[in-house]
Amino acid sequence: MKTREFWYLMAPSLLVMGGLLAFPLFRTVQWSLEEVAYGTGGSFIGFDNYAAALTDARFGRAVVFTISTTLIVTAILLVLGYLIAVGLNRLGKTRPLVLGILLVSYVLPSLVAAVAFSWLFNDNFGGVVNRLIEFFGGEQVLWFTDPFWNQVLIIANEVWTLQPFAMLIILAGLQGVPEEIKEAARIDGANGFQTHLHIIIPTIRGVMGFVTLIAIMDVLRVFDSLVALSPQASVIGNESIQLYVYSVAFANGAQNLGLGSAINVLTILIILVMLIPFIRGIFKEAKAAR
Amino acid sequence: MPFTQKRLITVVAGAAAVAVALTGCGAGTRTTNENSTEVACDYTQPESATTVNVLAYNSSAIDPFTDTMVESCSTGNVTLVHDPIDFGGQVTKTTATLSGDSGTYDILENYGFAIPGQASEDKLVPLNDLFDKYSEKYALDELSESMLSALTYDGQLYALPMQGQMFILAYREDVFDELGLEVPTTFGEMMSAAQAIRDAGTMEYPIALPWLATSDVSTSFQAMMNSLGSDFVDTDGNVTLDTDEARTALGIMTELKQYMDPQVLTFDQPAVQQQMFNGTAAMSIMFSGRMSDLTLEANSEYFDDIAFAAPPKATAEAEYAYNRVSIDGWSIPFNTELDHDMLFEMMASSVGEEASAASVPAAYPARAGMVTDENSPYGTAANESIVSVMPAIVSPILADVSVATTDTLANILLGNISIEDGLAQMQTQGEGVR
Repeated sequence: MKTREFWYLMAPSLLVMGGLLAFPLFRTVQWSLEEVAYGTGGSFIGFDNYAAALTDARFGRAVVFTISTTLIVTAILLVLGYLIAVGLNRLGKTRPLVLGILLVSYVLPSLVAAVAFSWLFNDNFGGVVNRLIEFFGGEQVLWFTDPFWNQVLIIANEVWTLQPFAMLIILAGLQGVPEEIKEAARIDGANGFQTHLHIIIPTIRGVMGFVTLIAIMDVLRVFDSLVALSPQASVIGNESIQLYVYSVAFANGAQNLGLGSAINVLTILIILVMLIPFIRGIFKEAKAAR
Repeated sequence: MPFTQKRLITVVAGAAAVAVALTGCGAGTRTTNENSTEVACDYTQPESATTVNVLAYNSSAIDPFTDTMVESCSTGNVTLVHDPIDFGGQVTKTTATLSGDSGTYDILENYGFAIPGQASEDKLVPLNDLFDKYSEKYALDELSESMLSALTYDGQLYALPMQGQMFILAYREDVFDELGLEVPTTFGEMMSAAQAIRDAGTMEYPIALPWLATSDVSTSFQAMMNSLGSDFVDTDGNVTLDTDEARTALGIMTELKQYMDPQVLTFDQPAVQQQMFNGTAAMSIMFSGRMSDLTLEANSEYFDDIAFAAPPKATAEAEYAYNRVSIDGWSIPFNTELDHDMLFEMMASSVGEEASAASVPAAYPARAGMVTDENSPYGTAANESIVSVMPAIVSPILADVSVATTDTLANILLGNISIEDGLAQMQTQGEGVR
């Protein structure tokens, strides 16, 4: 391919990337250093927005909540996703049917899914889970106001909605594991658990890394589901970073676009820090493949 | 042509026809309401095709007016468009559309609490001249004086009132009759009634109030302060959140909590309605726009057992009732490019006598004397409620003070901060507004 042809073909992609990624990123960084309201030109205020965010205890609580939720959900997704994928991989003709059922929660809009999920725990709307707890003699659980149980509820919802994705990708990975190496492990005397731990999981390491990467990015951006699952998130400290941005920058007629941008830049940095191990891994693999 | 290809073309053509039809249906409102009607909307037609974008949140009290306007005024070259949206979304969109030199909307549903702030920043078109010009044609002199004044700032009308909402007490008449209880006129009596209901084993949490930690709880605190003759700011704009009235109001709210669901700070008005539908609460106080739903058989088996009264006072000595009156009206944003006369006539036609009459009982129209005991199950309660409210304090910073202090208020009610410390914090937060 000639250089000119290459650039002709690449130009549309570069334009789209520039318009949808680079330019908004540039404006976000620019606004983070300004005081900006809707429809007005910003005025430069240096690092005041960053100082405001970093000295707000609410932002600190949002960071702790978001990161702890992300780590727990990601760990559960990997373990549960792997177990379900292994089970599904063993199914025969019923696999498409079971797979279809398991995918339902993934295709629902996240707010709709969260509202439906919250009703399982809400006495006003039946509260099936509460009825079960009551039936087995348990105490009333304050799912929406107790910070611990509310985080459990949020984690459960995230796992419920993201599990199909993790399971699907891991299933694809499992189907790519050569039968020969599993057979070799059996001949060498490895039991089922050892085969999974030492043979299959290392073989699909790349797939597991991909699932981890996507899960971290997805959970770090959790926002709309909290509207239904944690109506008083800011008060009990179960506010995600994105919900915090919305609350201080946009909600109730607020117009702190500069502050919101500063928090977004900080969020990007947090995401990058959390993804460094995986990004390094990808670079290493790419280098080795050359 | 092979059969499958023919069939494919037929399917594609059919889908295209349906899409075109649906696009056509998309013009106009996407909600329908049995309390809306067709009225004459007789404005001067523009020469070219024109779209009028209407921003109004969806509720049983607002929809009748929105639907009447959109359906009746979409004529000739003009199409009115209204998409469903909730109240929170409307607040955000209103801020956004009023921010630039060009906006997205041409007619805004607005309310008294927000108007002083928007008017003081010249975000709305003053309506006095248009009101005078079209007063006779649309019988605007029959609109309630108090509702007109609630939408007036610095001598200028900034919204044409459609309807008002006031607090109303809804209670289970069957439970009260069975236990020989009187309808409460103070919160002390309300808590005594709640205790009696609890003692009888009828309900664990007989009182239901919308105290959502991010919004409604602030309105409730303000209503309690209003009952005691005070507000978040005084008439000079000074923040008054460290006063005895604020202290007393918070004391009553804290005491009320013991008769309410432990998760009450997550309940907005629909959640409180649901408690009444389910029969898990015997008393609730909400805006009148929520009352019509309580009387519908489709919503609850208790629809016939729910009665209505004016809201109680904070204390027996209080001058006013625990109450807020929210007046809703139509505004013209300063940045619309459309003809103001045309927009005003659309707004005026939707608040005409015919449209207002059709909106009852879902709404309490701005035309005086339209709601009675005969045409509304809560008509008497609404009429008694509206005369028991403290006159509104008009201040451009009131809404911002409310937003700035809401989290602290919620923390006080959750017991995370003492009343004294909390009030001091709220005073500082309020004074920090602009």
